[in-house]
Amino acid sequence: MAAKIPEVTQISESDLVRLTQEARQEATPTFGKIIWREFKNNRLALTSLVLVITFILFVIIAALFINTPKMMTTNIMDYYSKPFNKNFILGADSGGRSIAKQLIVGSRNSICIAIGLTVISSTWGICWGMISGYFGGKVDLVMQRVYDFMMILPMLMTIIVIVTIIPTYNSVTLTLILSVFYWMGTSRLIRSRVLAESQKDYVAASKTSGTSNWKIIFREIMPNISSLIIVDTTLSFAENIGVETGLSYLGFGLPLGTPSLGTLIANANDPENITTYWWTWLPAALEIIILCLAISYIGQAFRHATNASQQ
Amino acid sequence: MSLLEVRNLKVHYPIRGGFWNRIVDVVKAVDGINFSIEQGQTYGLVGESGSGKSTTGKTIVGLERPTSGQIFYQGQEVQQNKLRNSVDYQRNVQMIFQDSLSSLNPQKRILDIIAEPLRNFQNLTADQEKLRVLQLLDIVGLSADSLYKYPRQFSGGQRQRIGIARAVATNPKLIIADEPVSALDLSVQAQILNFMKKIQRELNISYLFISHDLGVVRHMCQQIAIMHRGRLVEVGTRDDIYNHPQHIYTKRLLAAIPETNVNSRQEHRQKRLEVERIYNEQQAKYYDSNGAAFALQPVSMTHFVALAPTD
Amino acid sequence: MWKTILRRLLIMIPEIIILSVLVFILAKAMPGDPFTGSINPKADASQIHHLMRVNGLYDPWYQQYWNWIVHLFHGDLGTSYEYQEPVTTLIAQRGMNTFWLALFTMILTYVIGLPLGIYAGSHEGKLPDTLVRVYTYITMSIPFFVVLVVGVWIFGYTLNWFPTSGSIASNANGLGSTILSRLQHIILPGLLGALFGTVNIVQYLRSEVIDAKSSDYVKTARSKGVSTKNIYQHHIFRNSLLPIAAFAGYSITGLLGGSIFTEMVFSYPGMGLLFLNAINYRDYTVITSLVLLYGFLNLLGTLLSDIILSIVDPRIRVE
Repeated sequence: MAAKIPEVTQISESDLVRLTQEARQEATPTFGKIIWREFKNNRLALTSLVLVITFILFVIIAALFINTPKMMTTNIMDYYSKPFNKNFILGADSGGRSIAKQLIVGSRNSICIAIGLTVISSTWGICWGMISGYFGGKVDLVMQRVYDFMMILPMLMTIIVIVTIIPTYNSVTLTLILSVFYWMGTSRLIRSRVLAESQKDYVAASKTSGTSNWKIIFREIMPNISSLIIVDTTLSFAENIGVETGLSYLGFGLPLGTPSLGTLIANANDPENITTYWWTWLPAALEIIILCLAISYIGQAFRHATNASQQ
Repeated sequence: MSLLEVRNLKVHYPIRGGFWNRIVDVVKAVDGINFSIEQGQTYGLVGESGSGKSTTGKTIVGLERPTSGQIFYQGQEVQQNKLRNSVDYQRNVQMIFQDSLSSLNPQKRILDIIAEPLRNFQNLTADQEKLRVLQLLDIVGLSADSLYKYPRQFSGGQRQRIGIARAVATNPKLIIADEPVSALDLSVQAQILNFMKKIQRELNISYLFISHDLGVVRHMCQQIAIMHRGRLVEVGTRDDIYNHPQHIYTKRLLAAIPETNVNSRQEHRQKRLEVERIYNEQQAKYYDSNGAAFALQPVSMTHFVALAPTD
Repeated sequence: MWKTILRRLLIMIPEIIILSVLVFILAKAMPGDPFTGSINPKADASQIHHLMRVNGLYDPWYQQYWNWIVHLFHGDLGTSYEYQEPVTTLIAQRGMNTFWLALFTMILTYVIGLPLGIYAGSHEGKLPDTLVRVYTYITMSIPFFVVLVVGVWIFGYTLNWFPTSGSIASNANGLGSTILSRLQHIILPGLLGALFGTVNIVQYLRSEVIDAKSSDYVKTARSKGVSTKNIYQHHIFRNSLLPIAAFAGYSITGLLGGSIFTEMVFSYPGMGLLFLNAINYRDYTVITSLVLLYGFLNLLGTLLSDIILSIVDPRIRVE
């Protein structure tokens, strides 16, 4: 059967290398190149990107050199030590603990949880949305009912109740618990796009080419919504930083003795802290604000780049 | 033995309604049609939009599920619900789509698009595969530097050639061409049609040519079936249909072909109005009380028309 | 139309049942029992056992669940052992505070969001549009609780413009000063909630206006000499009014979730603060009642929005 085609064409094996090379020269820019171009032209986005990456690397590496239990021991002598002195750059809290060190370890913890949460919940949400949108029919109906139910759950309250029920937990279990509740936004977004994509003829063409459903979902449709996925994941990362820190702020996030940006901001719950000892909480609050704005801006730049590339 | 035989094929879609979402009615998109396609032949399936001709094509390649009926491929029945799982059938029955842009995955390079069926049905090394794609590109008249380009970089006619290259990649016996040229400019239409004929001669392919354009069908098909409201109303050779139309619907379609001779414009218009008048008057003679066409009756050896039973 | 609403209500039933089962499981999973704290601390184990038996706590779980549901339907949510009051009374008091704050926030959200969205859309690409987009970018990026903390620090403690805790001043007497004092307490949290809750409305209206501007029906109206103001009032705004109204239902979820943070930061005695206290005191009856109530309110909110949207767009009626 295979012999039939060479009869009607003159291309033989000897031409293969030459023609491939020619074709390669004519090839079009890839997605990565388009994004790189966007960041090169948008200084603010590039600055944000460099800032966020450097900062994350810095806190992860610096936290390795900090002895957390020792840092968290109370030292009455340094009670509310003022910032900018030689021992405490950012001062100390009511227990005489260094704010700067807590900030580094806390940032590490909060950022790692946010990354873990983003990875798990986005993966889950993307898969949920793609399966629901692609298969449609009864599968979609059941999956949508689950989605509807998750939407009416009072999330924050349920998480707090679960956290109080579970006797022992750490940052990993906390991340998993949070992931159960934060995939719906992504899944909804992805579902509606996949629903539209599945109607296109290239999906039908893949079916007639003998490609299996799973391959069609992940290899044919997914590349077409990859820009949406990148933008959504970046934006959810910014959002997820607020999830754990918010919970820790309320006192139901990371267990006691594990610093987080949220527990640092919780220092502001004391009316005296919030005004007189502002250094105990303000740096953490400012850090979250800057971090979230920067990550969000990177997301906007991604969106801009992908919109431009689709035109 | 015919290459493909369709027996009493029905595709019905339920309409759900009422409070409990029960099936209240069905749309009979395809309502019991029979036809067979011979090796190397082009079989035309003609009808207005909504007549069920596209559904018929999609059901044959397995994109839609038949409600009932049988499909025989080389004398062997293809299981309805396993249409897509029968490798041999899948490889030998391929499809060309109307919308060339939508039928090519915008995120894939031409190499990957054309190689998709090869990867699913044949075990080729990367080099063999590339060579094969280059040969296919040569057959459809595209240069080798298309290899790493994306679909949006091609014109409509070129994209349709890529779609054809993909369809013939696995040396199929039958290609379902669903309005392959309707979206193209007239000048490009002729190119693509001639070129489809050329491949047919060289590779001995059969086409099921689905179209609403009787002019194009006349150019392409030896056997023609006219479809209306899910049923075949007239089946015959090109000569039967164009020179001796029997059914009022066929006559009406033929009268609607635009006349290029300006001098006989008035005369042509008169004829069209006359056909239209007869069509409206004689509805009852050609359609039963539900508006469905009658069963086909032989008029000659090759010519069948849906007429009221004569008893 | 009525069919849609009725069917939507039917879908609610399993959701309510699952929600109640979930809350019941959570309540059962909580450590401790509801009596150890509520009776005489010297009560010995046998007395507690007796109470447990009498109150059916040794019954099989489905029996207990059924009893709980029956009590729920009689409006009996149990007694808070921290406050020694029926939970219904407790929630009624705190609920009013949360309700006023939420209502105020929602009204402000629309007051701020509607003009901003239309203004940005009608000045697409110009300076006002850019400013509004910077505003929405900032508000949707920063976590809300940080906004609240910084807000209370600046406007409450530092500038002293607004009270920083409670729902009413202790010295407020008479109708006028009571209302004034209440208002004073909800202005800052309400304003912050509104300023940072307009993103959806602004973005929706903006894109709606931009789409409408280039749509054929507006172009036709304009070419026939209809004034710009008229076009905005009669075509663009009227078309997007109902979808915008539908946001109100969905935003209930956000407002309720946010109320926990707002009431924590402002020590505002509403249901959110009640919940946090209940968690700290392990006041289980209050916790379960509040989770159930919040879930139910979310359900009503989405129901409301779905109904409004199905009036606007028949295509999205539940199949």
